[in-house]
Amino acid sequence: MAHDELAFLSAIETARAIRAKQVSPVEVVQAYLARIGRLDKTLCGYITVLGEHALAAARAAERTLMVDADVGPLFGVPMAVKDQFWTKGVPTTNGSRAYRDFVPAQDATVITRLSQAGTILLGKLAMSELALGGTRRPAWGISRNPWDLERTPGESSTGAGVALAAHLCAASVGEDTGGSGRTPAAYCNAVGLRPTYTRVSRHGLMPACWFLDQAAPMTKTVEDCAFVLGAIAGYDPKDPSTSRRPVPAYAARLGQSIRGIRVGLIRELHGHPDVHPEVKQAIETAGETLRALGAEVREISIPLIVQAGAIYVAIGDTEGAGACDELLRDRPGDLDPASRTRLQAASLVPFKVYNRAMKARVLLRRQFMEAFGQVDVLMSPTSPYPAPKHAALTAPFAGTDDVRARFFFRRSYTGSYALAALPAISVPCGFTTDRLPIGLQIGARPFAEETLLQVAHAYEQATRWYTHRAPAATAS
Amino acid sequence: MTWSKVERVRELARLVGITIAEDELGEVADRVDSLLRELEKLAALDLAPIQPVTVFPEETDHGA
Repeated sequence: MAHDELAFLSAIETARAIRAKQVSPVEVVQAYLARIGRLDKTLCGYITVLGEHALAAARAAERTLMVDADVGPLFGVPMAVKDQFWTKGVPTTNGSRAYRDFVPAQDATVITRLSQAGTILLGKLAMSELALGGTRRPAWGISRNPWDLERTPGESSTGAGVALAAHLCAASVGEDTGGSGRTPAAYCNAVGLRPTYTRVSRHGLMPACWFLDQAAPMTKTVEDCAFVLGAIAGYDPKDPSTSRRPVPAYAARLGQSIRGIRVGLIRELHGHPDVHPEVKQAIETAGETLRALGAEVREISIPLIVQAGAIYVAIGDTEGAGACDELLRDRPGDLDPASRTRLQAASLVPFKVYNRAMKARVLLRRQFMEAFGQVDVLMSPTSPYPAPKHAALTAPFAGTDDVRARFFFRRSYTGSYALAALPAISVPCGFTTDRLPIGLQIGARPFAEETLLQVAHAYEQATRWYTHRAPAATAS
Repeated sequence: MTWSKVERVRELARLVGITIAEDELGEVADRVDSLLRELEKLAALDLAPIQPVTVFPEETDHGA
């Protein structure tokens, strides 16, 4: 296999090739570093590349393989993580000039567990500032979507979307407060999973909203996603909110039939008049594919879901403003104008409004759970439209109606699952006529990630959209 | 006295102790105004008996 082609393998294919000694971890790391060196000046997927560290880790992995053939399923896989996770001795910027000199003294639990699984850390990935969105002047350059350089890769795990679509890492872990993992996955033809809240430790994850933040496996395939989730999930005494439930073998049901599984197409999200027509068509075709695989697909209603975007902003942004209170008071000039005005606005939300949103969140969760009394999984577009152009995303708002249209609407699609603390995954679902990726979102009841992955994998293998390559990924 | 939305934001910011630049007051006001308007739609719901929670208690079943 040509050196460059190594980077187009999935994480699990890479690990299999390493275990079979068809390729060495050093060769794989070198292939990725060469691609990063060649492509990332334009794409801006990385904030920090750990070339020497990665090569040293790869050489150590080679030595391990010489004496121990019994290594785990991700051993030797080069990964990258959102720059929101603490990495001991390595700058962790949270995407902000305000943290450009912050060097953590310890690793986040997610980083520790990826290391224990034998993965190799290639670097830290770009993100919109403070895991918010709409950053107008990113300190480390504008991250570009490998499918169309004029468009956003999605927010806030922007670099993970870039790195997966351009094959600048084998797998990644982003973060998802209200869709920050699933949206870049949808815009970049990748897989992004928001696990059930409490499934993965938040220790060392710089907070946006502590009771919504979740580490998000972001990968090239559903199989990769299952293994990355398995590596990072589980109770952590450093994060007492984590669940003590055993971590299942998430890949165990991949490949099993989905015959008889009940799928609910969320009427309010799919049928909204502002959904892009090609997105709507792609989701309907996905429903037909799932039917052909034996699933029972029907429409289902979650009435409050259309308000989820505003509920999410009222809660998530207000908590985010609280987390950044010192920054907002003492160093607002360190923040990008989009983050600053967003958090300042959130600082002014009256408690009565916040409280109403918190109560509505509980009602939304009840409506979800009622739906799960009738179906096993839910489906909808991940985003109502494909990746917007940078300029459309970062332009200052032109009045309250513009805020409503640009800020709340899209957030209902992904923010709803975050509010309800439910797992959801985005998988590639085709392309518009302009070759922009479309994402299919599948959600499930709490801790039903195995079902979620089973259905997503069946759909992925039936359609194989993930095999398409972005134009910028094949540029020389 | 009736305040404009910008004047109201300026006063609220003073009360909570943050400084908003004059040229960004309009954007902050639009953001606050749109959120309050959007959440007014929730006023029709009967939320009185609902207790807000941050972390939902785990269900007893183990998923699908």
